[in-house]
Amino acid sequence: MADMAVSRFPEPAVLDKGWIPRGVSRCSTAQFLGWLSPWVALLLLGLYAGWMCLRDGLYHTNMDHRFVFGLWIFLDLAIIALGAGAFFSGFLFYILRWHEMGAVIRSAVVLGFLCYSGAVVVLMVDVGQPLRAWFTFWHPNTHSMLAEVTFCITCYLIVLSIEYLPLVLKNRKLSQIPSFLVFEFQLHKVMPVLAGVGTFLSFFHQGSLGGLFGVMYGRPFAYREGFGIWPATFFLFILSAIAAGPAFLMLTTWLTEKISGHRLVRGSVYRLMARTSGVLLTAYVFFKCVDTVIWLNSTSQQAGFRPWEFYAWAPFGSWVLFLEIVVLGLLPALILLRASEEGPRRWLLCGAALACAGIVVNRLVFTIQTLALPTLPFDEFRTYLPNWVEVATFLGVVAYAVIVYSLSFRYLTLFPQEKELARATARGPQQEEIHVSGR
Amino acid sequence: MFPGVSGFEWSVAHVIFLGAFFTVLVVILASLTAAAIRYLRAWRERRAAAIRWHAEFEELPPAERLCRHALTGTAPGRLCERGFDCRTCAEHPAFAAREAQGLVAVPNGIDHSPDRFYHRGHAWVEPQADGTVLVGMDELAERLAGPAATVELPPPGAVLDTHSIAWQVQREGAVARVLAPIAGRVEETGSREQGWLLRIRPEGKLDLRHLLHGPEVAAWFQSELERLQGLLAPAAVGPTLADGGLLVDDLPTAQPEADWDHIYSAMFLRP
Repeated sequence: MADMAVSRFPEPAVLDKGWIPRGVSRCSTAQFLGWLSPWVALLLLGLYAGWMCLRDGLYHTNMDHRFVFGLWIFLDLAIIALGAGAFFSGFLFYILRWHEMGAVIRSAVVLGFLCYSGAVVVLMVDVGQPLRAWFTFWHPNTHSMLAEVTFCITCYLIVLSIEYLPLVLKNRKLSQIPSFLVFEFQLHKVMPVLAGVGTFLSFFHQGSLGGLFGVMYGRPFAYREGFGIWPATFFLFILSAIAAGPAFLMLTTWLTEKISGHRLVRGSVYRLMARTSGVLLTAYVFFKCVDTVIWLNSTSQQAGFRPWEFYAWAPFGSWVLFLEIVVLGLLPALILLRASEEGPRRWLLCGAALACAGIVVNRLVFTIQTLALPTLPFDEFRTYLPNWVEVATFLGVVAYAVIVYSLSFRYLTLFPQEKELARATARGPQQEEIHVSGR
Repeated sequence: MFPGVSGFEWSVAHVIFLGAFFTVLVVILASLTAAAIRYLRAWRERRAAAIRWHAEFEELPPAERLCRHALTGTAPGRLCERGFDCRTCAEHPAFAAREAQGLVAVPNGIDHSPDRFYHRGHAWVEPQADGTVLVGMDELAERLAGPAATVELPPPGAVLDTHSIAWQVQREGAVARVLAPIAGRVEETGSREQGWLLRIRPEGKLDLRHLLHGPEVAAWFQSELERLQGLLAPAAVGPTLADGGLLVDDLPTAQPEADWDHIYSAMFLRP
């Protein structure tokens, strides 16, 4: 029956087959272009919105002197934290030699590149005057954590670009050019050094992103005590980012599997990422609880605030704290730890989704809730909602990420196990299990 | 003045922060420079083919990287880590000595000559009295290509490295690139009708230890036939038992619906 169906309705042509890695199947060119077209439309809308802001200024947005950090900074912080999977996977693979991570390291690099480049583009629109961007390097304020963030993100984006380049040069067509292949090979040899540099840079800019809230003495909701020049948020941001990174990697891998209809990595890789994420998330929740207790009972009271005062303003009630620590912190940590030992994959993915949501809520709390709360007697509580220009600009960045990731998935070998899993699947489920367990 | 930064002061914050930043930049630049220098050196020393093979070998799935001694059952499950170059393998002589005592060739329906040495990419080498070697495609490769395939050979005088691309076989859009079994200069080209494709003058002393020879060739062909059967089986059919029949002369004509591009890449070791 299947053969009859095939002969009556021949499969659509894959016109770009020569560019697609051998041994993997991809949808037809027409289907792929169909998938890309709505994202391209969204990208164009985002470019238009971004251009409006660059041309006329931020009055097109709902940001003002109170809400200087709006949707863009909130989501920048979130995607930079989620993109931490790139540096953390590189650290596990190249430095700690966790060879199982080789199954997802390439995808992690692409995701990291997209998260960081997307964040930089949005920052460029937010700060404005992109032609004067070099001022930040020429006149750095070495007493500001933002200077450290700017330097580290810029350097890390360079590192990610260098890490992305070998993947592109390994494309089936491009690798036919001998000089590309040789250069890719030599670049690959310096990857452990770059992974080390990336870890160093990420460690500090993830921390400094948290630190810049923690040092705001005038904002008691965010202000934290800590160690030396680093407030507690410096360490919590690092820990939460490296906990969420593998979870986001799991989610994107699963999503790619669902959309493409192919198995991409073995179950053992999912379980390894889940265990790693679960352990780190547990540690994060523990330290977050300690930090919250100290903040509520000591730090905020020294600033003249009683704990419940922070949560007296709707919609940011105490439920936000409960949601962040218990529902999107402790619960996914337990799910990930439990499901990494046994149980169906859907629990792993459920835990990963909750963990990622937890990081997003945490960054929302630090950017939006911090600015919404009054800090002086004549202040008032104010809410903020982004307008279409802000939303469209950010959706444009999301569209850019989807387009580049889709192209990368189609033309590059992002998941080295895909080919082998496809063959094992063709051999049948029983043989597949034997083969997989034999590894 | 710290290089490149206006308003620099000799304070702890400035020195630590900018020192760390410039160290990172120097490390990135040094890594890129090292990669560029290695690239130029490799290019000058004509190591492109070796690098290509190394990179492609790393990409091969485990089933295609089985050690020759795993195929004969002497070292079950052992994977090759040396790009099928047994000349540099410390364990190879010991395994080979054990096999020399009792390995028996098992018939598998593929003809192979005891005078020939076989490369894992389906090319053979036959030493000649004049110091040259004849090189051709083995029986399985011939059937994979089919009689209608066109072969594109390198011109006489071309220099081949071991595992570099020796010749191309084209069949209806699918291209098989066959790897050179040994290094040397092409002295003469033949044809499929003549039974050989290239006459090569080897570089230096002829060393064929990395090629399959004797009874192990039959075991390897058996494993290759099983691999081919897996590649030809439609996904909808799933696993099937071997039927014991003879392999047809023209596989692409017999199974036109198969993904020959993929099959060629798998059988000729080109990921």
